[in-house]
Amino acid sequence: MKALLSFILIILLSAFAEYFGPWWMIAVVAFLITLIVRTRRSFLVGFLAIFIFWFSVALMRDIPNGHILSTRMAGVLPLHGNYILFLIVTGIIGGLVGGVAAWSGTMFRRLFSNK
Amino acid sequence: MRALRIIPLLLTIVLVYLLDTYHAGLPAFGKLLDPVNGCMANAEKNNKDFNADIKQAALHGKVTVWLDERMVPHIHATDDHDLYYVEGYIHACNRLWQMDMETRAAAGRVSEVVGSKALKFDRGQRRKGMVYGAAHSLQALEADPRSKAMMDAYTAGINDYIGSLKGYKDYPFEYKLIGFAPEQWTNIKSCLLLKYMADDLTGYTEDIPLTYLRSLLPADEFNLLFPEKIEESTPVIPKGTVFDKPSLSAPLVPNDSLWGSITNADVEEKRNEGKGSNNWAVSGSRTQSGAPILCNDPHLGLNLPSLWYEVQLQTPDMNVYGVSLPGAPGIVIGFNDSLAWGFTNNYRDVKDFYEIKEVQNDKNKYWFNGKQIAYEMKYEHIGVKGQDDYIDTVDYTIHGPVIYDARFPGPGGIKKPLAVTWMAHKATNELLAIYLLNRAKDYPEFVDAIMNFQCPAQNMVYADRAGNIAMWGQGQFVNKWKEQGRFVMNGADSSTLWGDLIPMRENPHVLNPEQGYLSSANQSVTDSTYPYWYNGYFYELRAWRINDRLSKLPHANIDDMEALQQDTYSILAANTLPIMLAAVNMQENVTAKKYIDSLKNWDYYLRPESIAATVYQVWWENYYADKWKDKFKNVPDDLWPLPERTMQLMMATNLVRENNPNATEQDLLISNSFKQTIDSIAKIAAGKMEWYKQKNTTIQHLAKLPALSFGNLKIGGWGNTVNAAKSNHGPSWRMVVQMGKEIEAYGVYPGGQSGNPGSKYYADFLDSWVEGKYYRLQFLPNTVTQNSSAIKYTLSLHP
Repeated sequence: MKALLSFILIILLSAFAEYFGPWWMIAVVAFLITLIVRTRRSFLVGFLAIFIFWFSVALMRDIPNGHILSTRMAGVLPLHGNYILFLIVTGIIGGLVGGVAAWSGTMFRRLFSNK
Repeated sequence: MRALRIIPLLLTIVLVYLLDTYHAGLPAFGKLLDPVNGCMANAEKNNKDFNADIKQAALHGKVTVWLDERMVPHIHATDDHDLYYVEGYIHACNRLWQMDMETRAAAGRVSEVVGSKALKFDRGQRRKGMVYGAAHSLQALEADPRSKAMMDAYTAGINDYIGSLKGYKDYPFEYKLIGFAPEQWTNIKSCLLLKYMADDLTGYTEDIPLTYLRSLLPADEFNLLFPEKIEESTPVIPKGTVFDKPSLSAPLVPNDSLWGSITNADVEEKRNEGKGSNNWAVSGSRTQSGAPILCNDPHLGLNLPSLWYEVQLQTPDMNVYGVSLPGAPGIVIGFNDSLAWGFTNNYRDVKDFYEIKEVQNDKNKYWFNGKQIAYEMKYEHIGVKGQDDYIDTVDYTIHGPVIYDARFPGPGGIKKPLAVTWMAHKATNELLAIYLLNRAKDYPEFVDAIMNFQCPAQNMVYADRAGNIAMWGQGQFVNKWKEQGRFVMNGADSSTLWGDLIPMRENPHVLNPEQGYLSSANQSVTDSTYPYWYNGYFYELRAWRINDRLSKLPHANIDDMEALQQDTYSILAANTLPIMLAAVNMQENVTAKKYIDSLKNWDYYLRPESIAATVYQVWWENYYADKWKDKFKNVPDDLWPLPERTMQLMMATNLVRENNPNATEQDLLISNSFKQTIDSIAKIAAGKMEWYKQKNTTIQHLAKLPALSFGNLKIGGWGNTVNAAKSNHGPSWRMVVQMGKEIEAYGVYPGGQSGNPGSKYYADFLDSWVEGKYYRLQFLPNTVTQNSSAIKYTLSLHP
């Protein structure tokens, strides 16, 4: 259950933090949450949280835009102009950062605990 | 090993660092892909509501901006300050990155943002004296209260828009992609932009290559192949126009040693056949409606965001519509409620080169009139992203900056120091001309306005609602002795210096000519009766076609004018193909016969889907190469005689066929080039033979990213046809205006009003442009409220 709590907290707080700060606030948030809340499988939790956060925001901006920009970005990056791939890659990049940060929070916590 | 548990944290930090910085031309992926602040923040809603109420303390009063369905702003202000302030604000709002990049390019500051790959380009720009010229123009601009007030307000508007950006999230898309930030606008940036245009339009010169060719060929052959003016020109100012008596007498050719020598292959710039434009005006006596019609299609580099931005400007004493250059206030080409005007480039030579004689053993000095003179050295600090600044020394002489020398050899490897004297270096104030032109009410006011337009020289066509048409070959020119500046000159002798300036009112012009129409398409400006000597780089073929068509349209209407702008008839093909077909005999070859038959049935129009057009173009290329490749073995092909000259020689040879060894030789050349053509065509993939696929007209994004560009457009024509759509340049704005009781105007450009690749308005005019369709331009009346159904959004700005 703590994993679910961390998952929800990471999404909510990183959305809040990104509203005021730069993109890498997602790493700070994921790190701090798993530092405070004991989280199992923290990489997966952090990855999924940010993946879903970034993917959803990208999708929410993409649909009213009629995929104009996502399609062009999928051409700028080697993604054959496929906007769905671009949205997934967006999620994966964010997810990786969230995952690694969450994992490092857990490990950092263990640096000072006996478990 | 508990301490190892720190590793994930270090890994996170490294990963964040890598995704937050730009490496080796790759974007900072984390920053860019972040959907909250990164690129997806630039994805504009397709149904975005542009109605807004904006407070800007700098404004004097209320300004209303009506946006029509094509997002053209119609700006209504109570004074000049507010008008130009809002024009700057709106330019920045739509085109900030483009304005920034173009002025960086002008100033040689591209390396600052893209790194060392642009260093050579930047050094070249500094050596050309771009900033030197812009600084002079800034002085002239700020010396006149009208242009200074206009410019200050415009700059303030841009900067207040930049100030409204709250950070990375709000930056235009390309800043995020390339990784830099907008910087404050200054008045000199607008001067730089105009110098950038001047360089684009007058920077081309054949002085260096002609000097080389003259040393290569006997004089009579040189004059035959590279005539000073081509025969049978239909000049901009019609033949027979009587010119005023000149106030200056022609200077005598001095007796000194006048010429520099260049014997090395040192070609500077490419012959860019047809970086031209068309404009014409038809008098009411020759139109269906009885009102004059004015047309203009300037041919420039085809890029996205487009060079042009459509806008209407209204103050109590002005109501003007047309295209503006984002980065400069006012309207460059357009019409107001009294008159219309259009520009084509006037290729009179205003850029001359001088060979500098260095003082042996003292690299700080050069010889001039037998004396040693010290260079004025300028240190150019060029910022390079990711590296230390690069410092280049540019030597300034009495002639101007040394553009090439051993430290920066010309492309052909020329190491001799060459200095350049160029009208674009002078303190000229084209913005004042624009300011006055936008407000001109009649022909005398038009003439007064354009007297301030010095460089780049333009053929300015004019039509007004009173029924007048006129044409001026306008610019600041020098009273030269015969051939002065046609070749590289001896820079050690004062007799080669530029002399007096020709009074601008003596520039070639004509008002209401008997023929009832006027046109220009970069051809020679005058016939030989014009009293001042000049040379230039003139192209004739489009002018022949336009004048031919106009002479056969006694009751022209708007549809005729639009059709003429779309015209793809090749004069070159019409004159050469019959001769070429008569010389081949390959009826036994099935493939050859197929192509010969298609050429025989061809009407010489370079239509997009035409296969005969492709065959002809390939054949002509082959013939042209075969004709000149031996004579000009070591000369790059862009310096060979002009295609129209080659055509004239072919026709002349064909006139006398009996006992003419030249005719036999020509026939052999034609028939061999046809065999090569059949071979080259065999290599073209099936389904790729249509002309538009072969030439591949592309509208390229300024950052050269294919995903933001549009290629393979289905459009016909070539540089030598009226519809001059080449692969990367062509009609950048097409306009047709009928100056009747009601002004009826149509226009289109290949792009869209928004510079944002994430907007549906980024390239929404492109299909219409390709298909040759026009939009009715909404010329709103000069009133505080509007009831036009074309208005979609209203933007209200107030202090």
